[in-house]
Parts: sequence; structure tokens; C-alpha cells
Amino acid sequence: MTSTSTSTSLRARPARSGATAPVDTRARRAALHPYLFIAPFYVLYVLFMLVPIAVALWLSLCEWVGLGAPHWVGPRNYAHLLTDASFHRALGNTGIYVLVSLLVIVPAALFVAQAINARGVRARDLWRTAYFVPIVVSPIVVALIFGLIFDRQFGLLNSVLRALFGTGSVDWLGDPTLSKVAISLVMVWRWTGYLTIFFLAGLQNVPRELYEAASIDGAGPVRTFFTVTLPALKPVAAFVAVTSFIGAAQIFDEPYLLTGGGPAEATLSVAMFIYRAAFERQQFGYAAAAGVVLFVVVFTLSRLFNRLLGIGRTQ
Amino acid sequence: MFTPSRHLHPSPTRPPSRRALLRGAAGLGATAALTACGQGATTPRTSGDVTLALWTHDQNYEDFFTRSIPAANRLTDFAYHLSTTRAGAPDLVTKLLAQAVAERGVPDMVGFEMSAFPRMLRGDIAERLLRDLGEDVARTPGLKEDLLPARTAPFSKDGKLYGLDSDTPLIVHYYRRDLFEKYGLPAGADTWEEFARIGERAHREHGVALNAVVTGPDVNQVVQSFQMLFNQRGGGLFDKDQRLTLDSHEAVEALEFICRGLRAGFITPVSDYFGGPMQAALKQGKVIGVLMATWFKIYGLMPNVPEQKGRWGMAAPPRFAAGGHATATTGGTGFGVLRGKPNTLAAAEFLRSTYLTHEAQVRRFHDLGYLPTRASVYRDKALLRTTDAYLGGQRPFDVYTALLDDVPRVYVSPDQSILNDVLAGCLLGAYRGDLTPRAAIRKAAADFRDQAGR
Repeated sequence: MTSTSTSTSLRARPARSGATAPVDTRARRAALHPYLFIAPFYVLYVLFMLVPIAVALWLSLCEWVGLGAPHWVGPRNYAHLLTDASFHRALGNTGIYVLVSLLVIVPAALFVAQAINARGVRARDLWRTAYFVPIVVSPIVVALIFGLIFDRQFGLLNSVLRALFGTGSVDWLGDPTLSKVAISLVMVWRWTGYLTIFFLAGLQNVPRELYEAASIDGAGPVRTFFTVTLPALKPVAAFVAVTSFIGAAQIFDEPYLLTGGGPAEATLSVAMFIYRAAFERQQFGYAAAAGVVLFVVVFTLSRLFNRLLGIGRTQ
Repeated sequence: MFTPSRHLHPSPTRPPSRRALLRGAAGLGATAALTACGQGATTPRTSGDVTLALWTHDQNYEDFFTRSIPAANRLTDFAYHLSTTRAGAPDLVTKLLAQAVAERGVPDMVGFEMSAFPRMLRGDIAERLLRDLGEDVARTPGLKEDLLPARTAPFSKDGKLYGLDSDTPLIVHYYRRDLFEKYGLPAGADTWEEFARIGERAHREHGVALNAVVTGPDVNQVVQSFQMLFNQRGGGLFDKDQRLTLDSHEAVEALEFICRGLRAGFITPVSDYFGGPMQAALKQGKVIGVLMATWFKIYGLMPNVPEQKGRWGMAAPPRFAAGGHATATTGGTGFGVLRGKPNTLAAAEFLRSTYLTHEAQVRRFHDLGYLPTRASVYRDKALLRTTDAYLGGQRPFDVYTALLDDVPRVYVSPDQSILNDVLAGCLLGAYRGDLTPRAAIRKAAADFRDQAGR
């Protein structure tokens, strides 16, 4: 078969020599087809991702009030960031939000998922929906509700504290430390249910046989959790941890709407710092420089997490 | 097949090829797109039908300007129509700058809320985008002298006027007349010292506050609470040349008074002037007085406690014994006109005829409740006779005219936002007792210099 076909093709080639060019062109075109199909994504990617990033990089080296030609200042914006106490505060606050996200929200989501996934739980869908609702509620509504809850004089929380313990003038949103606690509580309320869904999906994929085997081996609930559940959930947990980290590092809604970054920048996040510089102070170059720093930090740490947690690797 | 002559001399009767048609269509499309992207005609309109693009953050302004069209048509050579866009006050500036960069979609008239306008003062933004309305004012003899400097100063830069204010938001003391009488509290204290004594007694005996200051997330409102007293005491955040003048004994004195009030309880902290907690405080009768601009009745009292109609009164604010002014101002919205547009003249004429004439200012007070910005209008007999049902039939102009001669000018800076951020934090620190008033003011000034230099 092989020799026949080879000889046929060899014989055919001289006869078709006149049509070589069109065939080659057609073959080249055919080879281009897959690229044409994936081109729209890359065109949009270049237009709406790479070009803005390049412009942001260039803008970070300029001074620009938002109108007229940007004025080149070189790395001056970055030098100012190094000595800007506000930026340092924003970085510190954002670090706290990231820690809350990774050390409180992610474990809480896993705990809730484990509870909902337990055998014999009634109205499982109702619980799941209830936990998921906060993430679909508008952040504006969330801010309004929690603003009323946390208000010092007339807030619900202080009223309850007053009724129960006789003390209730805690300045939840006005005290530099407590305001961070208030923001963290809202973050926990808002994001735990959302992340629970991911863990729940992961838990439902853990083979029942593993739990049965652990039970036969005499493992208790805690041992089963650490030897069966957690290892099985590792890919989901890693994904949740990295996405939570990225989300918390770019947090904006909660501090912006609840405390405006105050008091005295005690809850200011880096994303808010960028917004403030650009859209309240007309310092677009400075904002771009802060944005580049945030991007570099988030990208680097995300890559580090990916590597440490083995996301995307089969083994 | 290929014959050069055919290409060089195409037959006139030959129908165009499909490719030629496509090219033609593409060319026409590109031309149309480029035309659409262009600025359009730039020949200034001097009369006739004109549709003004108006941007504002407040439905009330839209309604007022719409109702004012017949008057504007009568007083000018134009026949006006309005196309209004509404957005949040800070968003209007952001959107305006974005449209200006795009060189299209720029409005003809924009309302700048006082806290958003300082952004227009950064660099040469105002100069590049806005018409100097001072020239329009100067065309009417005597008008420039009649306009209250307190309301032109915040919207001026380098001697040019970029916005006409909608209001003269004088600071007054609103108080619950019924509860003051019930508790035996005298209204209209002459000095803040006397006010403090009355307030301390009111809080001690009845658990009520005679004023509120904002300690919530809105830094503008936090600063506003302090700035009203500071300006009345004779200080200012910035001078005419936009230099910081915060660090002064007037600032310390004003802050000391607020801190004293918070500790004694006759001033109460609220998260903001308009939200739920303030409404609860007003409804429960815990806050029975508020030092605020005249517009607070419309935006703060009437919507939050409509059932208290007739129970409120208004008095001139007490004065600082050490000096200062009879009152101050806070807030306001200035309307500016975009320059270099076909409708620039039409917009300037529209604004002049709806905002600057005597009749227009009287109409604006009746429609919106905003006080005239021309001194002469305060002598209008009809206005002087006006009574206010919400204030129990009180004649408000009795209070306004008594204050009008001593209203300080307020200057703003493009760095206002930076100052608000740092000052709000320091004020709250002083309110909590973490900082002394003097230390708070000094820290705010130092932090401002550190950040504004960037």
C-alpha cells in the first residue's frame, strides 16, 4: 500500500506542476484558518489588555491631570510611592484584608461546606441559597445595611450590646482598629457563602468509598477530615485560596462604601488609593504607578501560590 | 486575458465589479465614521433654535431650567431646548474630562457641586474647558458689584469666573422650637459660649443635643462640620492663591469648641447628615438643633422628618466672642459653560437669563429654595414677606438679611481632596481624644504638605 501510493504521488507530481502555486496558497490559507478562528480573542486581548497595560506603564512615568498632554517625569512617581505614608498604610491594610480572606474566610467557607454536605442535613438547598445570597446583593445595599448596623449612636449592633451588656457606644466605623474589624466582618459575611459553593462542589466529588474505608479503619470525624477530605479537596482549595487572594488584594467595594477608607485612612485599600489618586485628585500618573505596583505584587504572589499549591499540575 | 489597455481605459458602460463596490462601500463607511468622530460644526450659533446639552446631578436643576425656558426665550435671541444628562456629582467631572479627551460628547452646560469643582482647578483644566463667565457678568452694568463675592470666590481662578452659584448657602441654626420651649431653653444664643452653657444644661437635664457633627465615612461631611465653624471664626482652609492656611489659632479654637461639645454631649456625633442614624436622632428628639446651611431644611429636615413641620425654627448662628463673622457658607453648585463650542454663546446667554436676573433669582428661591446670589435681590419686598410653613410661619429673610453683610469668602484648591482626607482623620482623632485640637490641626497641615507635594 505504501509503495503504491508513493509511486502514484511521484508520478502525479510532474503532471500537476502547473497548479503548484494555487495548491500551496490554498494549503497556507487552510493552515491559517485555526488562527483566524482564535484571532478575535487575541485582537480583543491586545486591544483591551495589552494596550491598556502598556499605556498604564507609560502613564506611570508621566504626570497627567486627565487633560492635555502627559508630562514625562521618569520614575519619580515610583520614588514618591516609596515615601508615601498613605500608600504604605494602604498596602498594610490590604495585607490585613488578604490575611482575613485566607485565614478566616476560606476556612470558614470550608467549614460551612462541610456542614452543609454532612449526611442527614435537611433543606440543603435552602442553606446553600441562604449562604449564597450575600454575594448577589448589591454592594450599595450591603453598605447601607451595615452602615445602620455599625452606627455608633443609633446602630443595631450597639443597641443589642447595650441591651445585653449595658455597654454600647462602640465606634465600629470611627475607630481605626474597629473599623478594620467591621470591614472584615462584612467581607466574611459577603464572601464565605460564595466560596462555600466551590468547596461544596469539591466535597460532592470525593468518593464515598474513601469515607467508608476510613470509617472501617476506625478514623474519627477529625481524622477523616484531615486524611480524606482535605487531600481530596486540595485542587479546589488551592484554586479558592488563589482567587480569594487576588480578590482581597484588589478589594474596593467594602471599604469604599462602608468607611470611605477612613477613619484617617485606617481602612484604605490599594485599589481605593488608586481610585482616589486618579478620580479625586487628578493624579493619573501617580495612580498608574500605584496600579503597576499592585499588579506586580499580585501577579508575583499569585505565581508563587500557583507554584507552591501546584495548581494546574496533575501530580 | 490581461490587456493593459482595458485597465488604462476602462469602458464607461462596464458595470463595477463586486470588489469595486465593496471598496466603495468601505470608503463611504469610513468617511461617515470619520465624520461622526469629528467635532462637527464649530461655527458659533448666535440666534434661533438651539438644544443645550445640560449635565447636572440634581433633578431639581433640570426641572428649574426647563421651567425657565420661556423666560430665556423672551430675554435672548434663542429658542431653547434642553437635553439633560444626570449623574453623580463627582462622576460629572470624571465624565466631562473623559469626553474632553475624546473631543466629542462634551456638554454645553455643567453643574459643578462644590466638593467636585476643585478637580477642575487642577492644572489648566478649567481654563481649557470653561468659559470665563466674568465677561458675561461684566456686560450688565452693576451686576459684578451686586454678586456676592462669597459665592463667586469658590468658582474663580486667576480672576476668571468659571461657575455661577445656585445658592448662597448661609449657615444658620435650625432648632426644634417646640422642644426648646418645653425644656425652657432660650433660642438664638449670642455667642458660642452661651450656646455651650445652654447645651450643657439641655444634655444634662434632658439628654438632648443642640448640634451634630459628622464622624462617618464621608470625609467631605466630616470636614464640613468643622469648616463651618472655622470659617465663621474667621479662618479658611486656603487663601486666594490656593495656599494652605489651616494651621491657625482660629482652627484650633473652632475644633476645641466641637471637642468640648462632644464631651459635654450638647454636640452629638452622627455618621452623616442625611442618613438613617440622623433621621432616627431627629425623629426621637435626641438632636433638637443642627448648625447647617440653609439648604439643610430642604434636603435634611423635610425629607427625614416631614411630620415635624411647623415645629422647627431658624436662628442666626451664635458668634465667637474672639472675633470672626456673623455666619459662613457651605456647599453650593455652580453652573459652568463649556468654551469653544457652537452653543457656547447660547449656553452663556441661557445661564445669564435664568440665573442672574432679579426675577430669575426670585423664581429660583420659590422653585428650589436657594437663596439669591445678588445682594439687591434680598431687598425684594415679596421675598421679605415670604413665610415658611415648615418653620412655623417664620419669615426666613429676617434672618438672612441680618447675616448677609458679613459672609466670609471661601477659597478652594485643586488639592482640596487631599486636605479633606488628611484633615478628616485628624479631626476624628481629636474628637476621640487621641489628639489635642492643636496637635490635630498641625498634623493635618503637615500631612497635607507631605502629600500635596507629590
